[in-house]
Amino acid sequence: MNVRTAPLEPFLEMDDIQGMAVPGFLKPYHTLLGLRTTNDDAGARKLRELVGEITREVASGLDTFRDREAFRQARLALKTRYPRSRRALTKGDEGAVLVGIGLSYRGLSLLTPGADAIRSEAFRAGMVARSAALGDPQDLNDDGNPANWVVGAPGKELDALIVVAGDHREPVSKRSDVLRRRIEDCGIHVVYREDGNVRQTPMEERGHEHFGFDDGVSQPAIRGRVRIDGDEKFISQRNVDPRVQPETWLYGRPGQTLVWPGELVLGQPASSPDPLLPGPPSVTTPPWTRNGSFLVFRRLRQDVGLFWRTMRDTAAALSKSGWKITDLELAARLVGRWPSGAPVNRISSGDDRALGTTALANNYFKFDSDTVKIALVADDGMPYDDPFPQAKADPLGLACPWAAHIRKVNVRDSGSDMGGGDATYRRRLLRIGIPFGTFLDGKQKYQDHSREKNDRGLLFLSIQASIEDQFEFLQTSWMNDDARPKMPGGNDMIVGQNAAAVGGVRRCTLIGPKLQAHDVSAPRQWVVPTGGGYFFVPSLSALREVLAR
Amino acid sequence: MPLLPSFDPPGFMTDFDGVRGLREQWSAFMARCFDETIAMEKKLYRAPHAWNPQYYDPTVTDPGPVLEQEIPWNAFPKELLRAYGRERALREADRLRPLSQYSDGFDGDGAKTTLYRPLTEYCEWHVERDPNTNAIRKVTFSSEPPEYWQALFGGEVSTPNGTFRFKARNPKKVLELYRELVSPDVQADDLIAHRDIVLQTGSSGTVIPKGEYNIYNKWNTTLGIAHLSAPPNSLAAEVQLGGDASVLYANAKGELVVEPDPLICCAGYGGSDRNSDPTIGATVNALARLGAMITLRNPVGLYMDHIDLTGWALPNGIAARDCVRVLRGDPKRRMIERLVVEVPLETGYTISDITIAGEPIRYGGQIAECITVKLVGLGALAGVHNVPVACDNRCCVDPAYLRTLDRAVGKTDPTPVGYIDAFEGEGTQRLVPAVVVPVAQVATGAPRPVAHHERRPSMRGSR
Repeated sequence: MNVRTAPLEPFLEMDDIQGMAVPGFLKPYHTLLGLRTTNDDAGARKLRELVGEITREVASGLDTFRDREAFRQARLALKTRYPRSRRALTKGDEGAVLVGIGLSYRGLSLLTPGADAIRSEAFRAGMVARSAALGDPQDLNDDGNPANWVVGAPGKELDALIVVAGDHREPVSKRSDVLRRRIEDCGIHVVYREDGNVRQTPMEERGHEHFGFDDGVSQPAIRGRVRIDGDEKFISQRNVDPRVQPETWLYGRPGQTLVWPGELVLGQPASSPDPLLPGPPSVTTPPWTRNGSFLVFRRLRQDVGLFWRTMRDTAAALSKSGWKITDLELAARLVGRWPSGAPVNRISSGDDRALGTTALANNYFKFDSDTVKIALVADDGMPYDDPFPQAKADPLGLACPWAAHIRKVNVRDSGSDMGGGDATYRRRLLRIGIPFGTFLDGKQKYQDHSREKNDRGLLFLSIQASIEDQFEFLQTSWMNDDARPKMPGGNDMIVGQNAAAVGGVRRCTLIGPKLQAHDVSAPRQWVVPTGGGYFFVPSLSALREVLAR
Repeated sequence: MPLLPSFDPPGFMTDFDGVRGLREQWSAFMARCFDETIAMEKKLYRAPHAWNPQYYDPTVTDPGPVLEQEIPWNAFPKELLRAYGRERALREADRLRPLSQYSDGFDGDGAKTTLYRPLTEYCEWHVERDPNTNAIRKVTFSSEPPEYWQALFGGEVSTPNGTFRFKARNPKKVLELYRELVSPDVQADDLIAHRDIVLQTGSSGTVIPKGEYNIYNKWNTTLGIAHLSAPPNSLAAEVQLGGDASVLYANAKGELVVEPDPLICCAGYGGSDRNSDPTIGATVNALARLGAMITLRNPVGLYMDHIDLTGWALPNGIAARDCVRVLRGDPKRRMIERLVVEVPLETGYTISDITIAGEPIRYGGQIAECITVKLVGLGALAGVHNVPVACDNRCCVDPAYLRTLDRAVGKTDPTPVGYIDAFEGEGTQRLVPAVVVPVAQVATGAPRPVAHHERRPSMRGSR
């Protein structure tokens, strides 16, 4: 028998990896610029020229990590995670504006014949070709059909997507204006521009998406280290007391599983059957794809009124059938968290904002076993005592149904239809998206806004090493399928689609307090895809030495 | 829940109806599988500790109201995916192999010439191609357990810890079914062993006796498929897995081992590189930790739950659903035993003209990726609790080839040269206020009986 020691985590080449991919921008203000040029030599020349220019401005992982470290320090100095003004965290100035770029297969093909060798059917086919498999509406009159998409519709697919992100709206917009002019000076059309903004008010809903739930709570943590200013640091924050083994090697923040970087970045060690041992690196064909990632962009329109009216009506129907439940309780079960982010497994009776906003507690829970308190270290190095009730084993989905969104996309310690733990690790992706459109206040949430000119929703952006095994798998095999990853389940009622059913009706099973099964259905879709595309996020060296030449 | 009067045949299939006494024998066979499994689990304990059985035969025990727990898994073998990656796995999945490649244990002469499908997720398929164009004409999937066919033919069938002889028999019905389902050319003589086929030697020897039904006959392997035949794909294995997983296990620190992979490595049941066994085991074990009494829902079987046709595209507006037929089982209750995928002949198209998410179908495995298989457990929250037993085994991995968990060794065996132990202290539930049966007290003086379906395949020889 051998004695296990801490896994040796690789140093990532953070000066080569785009910061949009690792560690991810995760800024509160974004602007997306979608580019399309002509599919000929002239178009190729223009795009190459542009890539050459833009590359100098693309934020590396190191730039982004450094910015995040400064931000963390400022937050520690202020002794609050949620200061009233973000300017306090950027010391009153405009903060960094970070730029990233992804190229679609069409765009990449204009720059290099090597695009054909990229080992991803999905990337080469593009999101439009894969739309039916994703469960998108096939009715040509449906807004969700690719023919009606706002961005990336058939024949209008983007060649490149530029992401501009920062701490304040004005500098992000200004930088985007400048970039737009330069893009157009190169003779390339900016066919899509959209702003994304994290909700700022009211204070208790800061960071919540349009339905009102805190988003991005259970991101995976990236396993790996970075050399910065003569120091060596983990890329992801670690908060489990080093004496608590193996948990200190398994989690970033408590409950936040560390995934080997090859799940996000090509050429890096990926998952193996044992989470503490690195598996073979993710494939890099052609070789310049090393340190690159795939980016999925999906513009998802959210119908807030339809969602909450359905919750209200369904809760009323359930109450009539003997299960007294409110629309908020129902929605929380379908999400798996309360609006604050507090997991229903840790508190089933109602929301607890303190739990929801405590990063050292809001993601620490298991599904199949009782969760046991462990020693933690806060970001300031002081011991942290988690005061909230710990989650109890819930293998049957009594507290958090198997159809709940957070359980559909991350089965945690449970087995799934794909087997044991690595089946879960291999599905994780880094979500770097942001809401778009104006936010509604609580009084407006039941109203019908579907006829408004301006829509609202999520600019879903995700980073992964495999579009097929991560984004597409989660969408098609777990969120859309009514039997996977586990039963008694149903469709993911939040973002799943059910193309197999007449009219796309989605259904799931909830188990009430008297252990009776209740079927819940939604005849209409409140999250509708209205655009998107598949992109490759090249390393900075690939941009400079392969694509800009 | 009242006592179950008797076990029904899988999928409520009716082929036994014309044979007097066969339904009763089937029920007795199922009961034997449960009883032997429960007896084997009991032997893991020695005084002063005793196992309060958490696994039960529903024809004998009524633990009260039950909750259903359907356990789904994907039909495409994860063993192949882990060993080879998807592209090669798809090729390998459509090929038969000699049983001698399945595991070192298949060392008899017959194992070198007897073929099996490396499809170990309780769902197997046969691909029919056009001999001229190589286009795929038809893919037939089956989740029917071999025991059902062995019972109908008559003869001896393996149970978790012994054998059961089916005396009521109707070999003619077996022939009829083969002719109906597989080919009109099947002859009675094709279905039997013409000599003793020795698959395994030694104490765990497996022999298909001369004159008995040969589950590896050519119409169930090279030329077609009637039912499951890969060594782990049996109903007896399913029943035993459920029982094995209802026992609680603890590691050397006394922590309960709970997560799917560490648990299967520790308990030594099933195949650790599969979709099915780790998740079946962990699901059952999670119920056991809640104090549940556990069994399998009648009719005990392995079933295809559904095939997901989302993203399938065919030429000329042909609907994907028109290419799928359920031939056996109970599709309304999502208990599918036999499913055929075939483009209607009159269209002039073949399966090779179908695309899934834009990808043309080149292998049967691409369809299997769309199929969900399942079994259904029942749990009664009866408040039964047991002390955990110490782990029997552990998994070792080759650090230079970290794709599979293919080396399992006994808990006290040395780690094989070039390997390291997997899951050291991982996948446990901490601070369990429970007594752990010390290693010496567990009834392991004699090696625990290992049925042939428990043996692990060695992928290393065939990489």
